[in-house]
Amino acid sequence: MRHILRSSLLFAAISVASLPSSAVAQDSETLVVAQPADAYSMDPAKHSAFPTANVLFQIYDALVTQNAEGEIVPALATEWTNPDPLTWRFKLRDDVTFHNGEKFDAHAVKYTFDRALDPAFKAPYFSRISAIKGVEVVDDYTVDFKTDTPYPTMLLTLYEASFPALIVPPAYAAEESGAKLAGHPVGTGPYRFVEWLKDERVVLEANPDYWGGAPEIDKVVFRPIKETRTRIAELRSGGVDVAADIPPEDVDRLDTDETKVVVVPSDFLYFFVFDTTRDTPLTNKKVRQAINHAVDVDAIQKALMNGMGERIALTLPVNGFAYDPTWKPYAYDPEKAKALLAEAGYPDGFTIKMMSRKGRFLKDAEIIEASAGFLAQVGIKAEIEYLEPGVWGQVSEKKGREGIIFPGWSGRDPNLVWYPLLKSGLYQSYFSNGELDALLDAGAATIDAEERKEIYSKAAAIIKDEAPHLPMIQPPLIFGLNKSLVWTPRSDGIIDLRGAHFE
Amino acid sequence: MAAFILSRVLYAIVVVFGVSVAVFFLVRMGGDPTSLFLPPDAPVEEIERFRQLMGFDRPLSEQYLAFLGKALQGDFGMSLRYDEPAMGLVLDRASATLTLSGSALLLSILIAVPLGILAAAFRGTIVDRISLVISLIGQSFPAFWLAIMLILLFSETFRFLPPSGRGSWENLVMPSIVLATYSTAIITRLLRSSMIEVLQADYIRTARGKGLSEWRIVMKHGLRNAAIPTITVIGLQVGALLGGAVITEEVFAYPGIGRLAIQAIANRDFTVVQAFVIVMAVTIVTINLLVDLSYGLLDPRMRNKG
Repeated sequence: MRHILRSSLLFAAISVASLPSSAVAQDSETLVVAQPADAYSMDPAKHSAFPTANVLFQIYDALVTQNAEGEIVPALATEWTNPDPLTWRFKLRDDVTFHNGEKFDAHAVKYTFDRALDPAFKAPYFSRISAIKGVEVVDDYTVDFKTDTPYPTMLLTLYEASFPALIVPPAYAAEESGAKLAGHPVGTGPYRFVEWLKDERVVLEANPDYWGGAPEIDKVVFRPIKETRTRIAELRSGGVDVAADIPPEDVDRLDTDETKVVVVPSDFLYFFVFDTTRDTPLTNKKVRQAINHAVDVDAIQKALMNGMGERIALTLPVNGFAYDPTWKPYAYDPEKAKALLAEAGYPDGFTIKMMSRKGRFLKDAEIIEASAGFLAQVGIKAEIEYLEPGVWGQVSEKKGREGIIFPGWSGRDPNLVWYPLLKSGLYQSYFSNGELDALLDAGAATIDAEERKEIYSKAAAIIKDEAPHLPMIQPPLIFGLNKSLVWTPRSDGIIDLRGAHFE
Repeated sequence: MAAFILSRVLYAIVVVFGVSVAVFFLVRMGGDPTSLFLPPDAPVEEIERFRQLMGFDRPLSEQYLAFLGKALQGDFGMSLRYDEPAMGLVLDRASATLTLSGSALLLSILIAVPLGILAAAFRGTIVDRISLVISLIGQSFPAFWLAIMLILLFSETFRFLPPSGRGSWENLVMPSIVLATYSTAIITRLLRSSMIEVLQADYIRTARGKGLSEWRIVMKHGLRNAAIPTITVIGLQVGALLGGAVITEEVFAYPGIGRLAIQAIANRDFTVVQAFVIVMAVTIVTINLLVDLSYGLLDPRMRNKG
């Protein structure tokens, strides 16, 4: 017996000793970011995922970017004008080179968009840039973006959250039909690509020649860690410096000597949509208003989001174009809700479907169930139905969402939210109002900011009264950080490490 | 023996082919992945345009024939998400999963075999009871829960081990324990009961009558004869370990094929799911084949039969 035990122990010892030892050393000059998923491609026009965009935005730049206040400001472009309503003219920086030495100029901009707009390229985010009908080189450092109709949201189309807007080096991107760029990216950004071990880590190093100033942190590592508890454990044990997507209930626990939490309200919108295309009580305006009065959104925000995030009055983020701080949501008033239901002819309430995905967004199912609870108190019985994301997409495409719908949406301009969601006949719209349609069309057809604000102010009044939605909150973006890291997250969810440094 | 091997190999080919047909159609039953690729605000015309570009709108039978024609030449198509050969993505990660499953299997065997033998040899004593408790715990702990508890204990509280990742032996410790737990329990219980059965056989009584030492009886006559069912189960456990690696890899952010498969299923990355299932089928069929063949080595009666 002793013999067996001894030989097995020996065997175990040998097998352990033969493995490479010691974990990757972390030092203060390396920043490790843990997010739930790995990158899919290093080609900015070939993917459709935020975690990928977070990695790529350290390597590449766009023409314009977003500052701390959420405004669109110059990046590779220094200034822009509209010679006519169908032309956006950008002046470019003349001191920028790509990591491989290629020169950044107007031709690189034209190449980037021509490439992604070519149908054969199959860019998943094609629709985000498809309003651009052509890019014309005016001179080496001036480009014109042409559109068929006035395109007020051009700047949002050209900044980094519009994935294919990141500028690629023309000669390099054409090598091996793009396979080279997709595996070993080359951009103009603050970090250069070092290696990508799929599902394990992406390693980047500082670009000392960055046009925006050399980054303070020498090395950045992105690690995909899907499981929330594991991300938190990595942060608490010092393995990572930034842990994305922390649940609200862990915020207090991460406020320690070694870790801290930073929170910003995201641009994302939580709201319910009422299907008015089918013959249900929801076609009655009073019923929609009653539901707005019946759900205590503030209580939901307090209980489920730890009070974090931003309450919205209409389906537009508070930092969105034309958002008016004087807008007020419907007040929580269950008695008024019951009265409105009675006026509408439903004194005893009714039964209605409630449709959503589950686990797609922070606390989505909890919010839906809490809302259903509030509806039950005024006599509305919600039958909750959760669809798998792929199925959800197919149902949506056939306009098959029903009842009270929790879609999740983002967009910082009414033209990106109200137009697709409220304009009659569009496949994601479950509402129809002729007057509103006219306003939405007018807002989409001019690039004059003041004129647009007036138009959307009128549209907002109709939306408030007609109540096609139940606006709720902009959920918080919660990051756990190494206590000595100085870094501010952005409301659009894109991770920008340009200003990050350790104290 | 040759005829036996040939029939087994043919059988294995049929199984793998059957699996490939099943996965091709099953994975497409939930519909096409177009909407998962495009931004949520993509207009409906754009969805249709992209669907046609990617060929998702073509009849399933046509898609299957195209797949089969290429697969027979070793081309399993490009991953829809990664835009790289799907089989390459799976095989790249196979070494990580094999390292993990291999160390888990080794751990199971190192614990289960001595424990099973001791439990049988000292049947009814405290040793047997301890082995029973260990098996019970091993079989009833959910892998996911155990993984989180280990991370809390060893990474967050004591900071002995890194909670996730790959690159050093330290990264293998917790995932291997989680993965080995269930197999250890199964193998221990099975080896114990087979040993007990064997130890009651006539030839063991004869051996005892000859005056052989109890130790020699247990190890030489007992273990050899109890080995066949145990090896069968160890073979089956390899399949279970590879399958179990899916959850373990996810929790420990370990870059293996299980994690790739989960993502591919969620993304409806058909080609990657197909490549994954085919690789798993080939692996499991091969292991079963090896287990079958090992009987011949262990049992001379089977060797002569073929």
